[in-house]
Amino acid sequence: MADYEERQSLLGDEDKGRQAAEAAGGPGRPLPAICDPGHLLHRIVVLVFMCFLGFGSYFCYDNPAALQTQVIQDLDLNTAKFMQLYAWYSWPNVVLCFFGGFLLDRVFGIRLGTIIFSLFVCVGQVIFATGALVNRFWLMEVGRFVFGIGGESLAVAQNTYAVNWFKGKELNLVFGLQLSMARIGSTVNMNIMGWVYSKVAALVGTPGHTALGASLMIAGVTCLFSLTCALVLGFLDKRAEKILNKEQGKTGEVIKLTDVKDFPFTLWLIFFICVGYYVAIFPFIGLGQVFFIEKFNFSPAEARAVNSIVYIISAPASPVLGFMVDRTGKNVIWVMVAVITTLAAHMMLAFTFWNPWIAMSLLGVSYSLLACALWPMVAFVVPEHQLGTAYGFMQSIQNLGLALIAMAAGAILDTRGYLFLEVFFCVCICVALIAVVMLYFVDYLKGGDLNMSAADRAKLLKESTSDAEIKRRSSRVSEGELARLAHMSAFGLRNRYLSRLGAQVCTHHLCFDSIQTEIPLFPNSVFKTSHWQCICF
Amino acid sequence: MAAVRICGASLFCLILVSTQSVLRGDSFRRKLSVELNPGWPSPLPPVGDLLHVRAVGDNDTLHFLFCSLGAPTLLLVHTNSSSSTLEVDWTQFLTRKVSGSLRVEPESSILQSNAIVFSRLLEYDDVNNTANPTSDFFPPYDLRDFTWARLNLSGASALLCGAAATFANGSLCLKLTVFDSEGRDQILPRLLHSANSSQVEVWLDGVLPQATRSRFLLELQAVGGAYPLSRVEVQRSIDDEFTPSIFKVLQWLPPLNRTYGGSGFLQWKPVSYRQFSPVVEDGTPAQHSPPRPQSCAEESSGLIRAFYAEPETFGLNVSFGLAGEPFYNSTRFFSWTVLLGVGLPPMDSFSPAVLIMMAVGLGTPMILLLLGGVCVCIRKRASASSYEPIN
Repeated sequence: MADYEERQSLLGDEDKGRQAAEAAGGPGRPLPAICDPGHLLHRIVVLVFMCFLGFGSYFCYDNPAALQTQVIQDLDLNTAKFMQLYAWYSWPNVVLCFFGGFLLDRVFGIRLGTIIFSLFVCVGQVIFATGALVNRFWLMEVGRFVFGIGGESLAVAQNTYAVNWFKGKELNLVFGLQLSMARIGSTVNMNIMGWVYSKVAALVGTPGHTALGASLMIAGVTCLFSLTCALVLGFLDKRAEKILNKEQGKTGEVIKLTDVKDFPFTLWLIFFICVGYYVAIFPFIGLGQVFFIEKFNFSPAEARAVNSIVYIISAPASPVLGFMVDRTGKNVIWVMVAVITTLAAHMMLAFTFWNPWIAMSLLGVSYSLLACALWPMVAFVVPEHQLGTAYGFMQSIQNLGLALIAMAAGAILDTRGYLFLEVFFCVCICVALIAVVMLYFVDYLKGGDLNMSAADRAKLLKESTSDAEIKRRSSRVSEGELARLAHMSAFGLRNRYLSRLGAQVCTHHLCFDSIQTEIPLFPNSVFKTSHWQCICF
Repeated sequence: MAAVRICGASLFCLILVSTQSVLRGDSFRRKLSVELNPGWPSPLPPVGDLLHVRAVGDNDTLHFLFCSLGAPTLLLVHTNSSSSTLEVDWTQFLTRKVSGSLRVEPESSILQSNAIVFSRLLEYDDVNNTANPTSDFFPPYDLRDFTWARLNLSGASALLCGAAATFANGSLCLKLTVFDSEGRDQILPRLLHSANSSQVEVWLDGVLPQATRSRFLLELQAVGGAYPLSRVEVQRSIDDEFTPSIFKVLQWLPPLNRTYGGSGFLQWKPVSYRQFSPVVEDGTPAQHSPPRPQSCAEESSGLIRAFYAEPETFGLNVSFGLAGEPFYNSTRFFSWTVLLGVGLPPMDSFSPAVLIMMAVGLGTPMILLLLGGVCVCIRKRASASSYEPIN
């Protein structure tokens, strides 16, 4: 039944599209397929631009890690100052997580908002490179700050475009492709920037801050490319709106900070897991290259390759693991497995000389597994109308943790060395492990909602939704339901955050009912909403 | 011929050693007595100084002799009596032609002796920034031709500075410190020392290099009596707490079949520093060449000539800087530290902070798991027993 309805709505769109295209092209002359916004070919073209929208931001995010030795040597820094480059990226996102959706929906609109954020990314990278050219470190920090303002919000915009242009099962593929492009960007950066720097240094004459600045400017070309994609996307979206009579896409997210007091204890434990886990991954990758060179006697190229393996693995592993987690349920167990595996990987790197390819591969797999298992849990714990706030809060404290721990990691490395740093990361993971263990027992004692298997969850959903359908059919739209209808569905929200954090979305979902409502809000304006209610299982 | 062996430190060993050292505390102390130019009536000898430090243990003595007559030399003599003394025939000693002019009495109590001679300073022009010192050498600086200042004593450490005739300004300095107990140096590379070892820091400060891209090598010669030092062993350690980002320790040891618990050793970390009070970023890797037998130690060093009749010598070069690292001209300074001692070379172990963090970090989840399991069992037992049959 769900498939039939899906097909119905997709066909409906296409029919409408064809009619509108015919109207646009003049009587009796339909638009060519590639120019027809309703047609699959045109949407594939849009998909290509959508994927490359985030490429520049992901490419330039890890530029410091790829050029760590050069940055430290050319600018005469210590590791603590070097890690400031990462901390300054995270600081604006502590606050911006809450406002990204609002800015995109109410203030700028998705099209203008995307262009503005792409501009921030571009300008930020240019300021960063200029700081290196003129050998002023404070300017580089400013550049990273501006880059950070644009970077995270651009991901929100990318997801909103995706949800707007693609529906149903296509959305999984789209999110997957966007994620892959992001990971490809990171990997290419790690492996290429060293080579770029050596070529530039040969051109300039000597390695130094001039060569560094020039290499970073070259990296900025990818941001320019993403900006072009944003402009093209804006144009295509505007054109499609005119032809198809669509609304401009909305993130549909509403943040109410007062909801924080309603968060259950299990949600706070999930926050702890999130913070404790990610602070042991990203700062470690930031400092990883020199660690592998010094401890394991790798060459710089090899060290960069092994540093990027986490990203390379997460691209194919995420859909597979996402599928597995969605099929089997039992999210808490998977989170525990992921955390324990990461702990094992860090201990291997700290206390043994075993080949680091093993530990880093384990790290890549467990990182993907955790993203697939952890983020959907938020949707199980929190009612739908608070999901936006919960995810925003989670992202905010994650960025806060990353900013603080990045600085701490640099300082620890300068004074106490790599073993102590690895032990520190192990302690962070142990904090996450403690939270997972507590989560398991608290959840078990409360009835075990979080750790249900997929079959049980589907059964529960069927019962609750059949009740809800009966209730809805027999009553008129009430105030509370208005609030629920106005927001993005759990499916959409989950997918948004999953793809941003490197997981693949669920590939099986039960979709029912397409609700089309016109709700008068203010005089002379109407709020139109049309969306699916979809549940992952 | 020298052999390089790579030996990994086992984690279990390391934990055992660290817990032992934490629990045991300070163990073994020696009584130090320092004398400068023993037996020579004041004023000071015309050229060169001889520093003699006696480190007396329970039933053995270590004699440390540091001499600037010719190339700077540190000689360590290990005797099995706590009352052995040094006899110097100064007239013959100053001629640098007579062996036996410096003796440790009674000679039968000498267990073994080792010496290190800092013989030459080499400079080469690293045009292509490859740090491959095979050619483009400038004429070497022979340390026996340096003009050495007087030894500057302070406590159990002595500072010796000198300059070559061609140095416009700047100097090469050596600082010897003899230790009476276990401990760790305060400045990088923070080498761990025991009561059976002494430390020499070498630094070149302010000398004008002969090319903008020149790098330096220091030639060392190790002289042994019964057990000459012929191989360099690389020990990999997972612990870099005290010398961040350096995971190797190098030891210059006697051949395998002649090692025993009390033989001499030279120990250093493969790093040199580009500033006088260094931080981690000032570190530059230092490399060494394999030890090779040599024959001229007694000619360059007056102390070797005086003490040894037929010394067995091995020499190696320590080079400072790798490809891509800054040249000497960037700071006009490099420093390097080496330990000379007897017995087992000191090994770094985990600090208490690391052990505690790992114990707490790993232990708390396990305790929580146990507690949680117990709670769940109790709950299950309670709900099972609360079942009341209807009948």
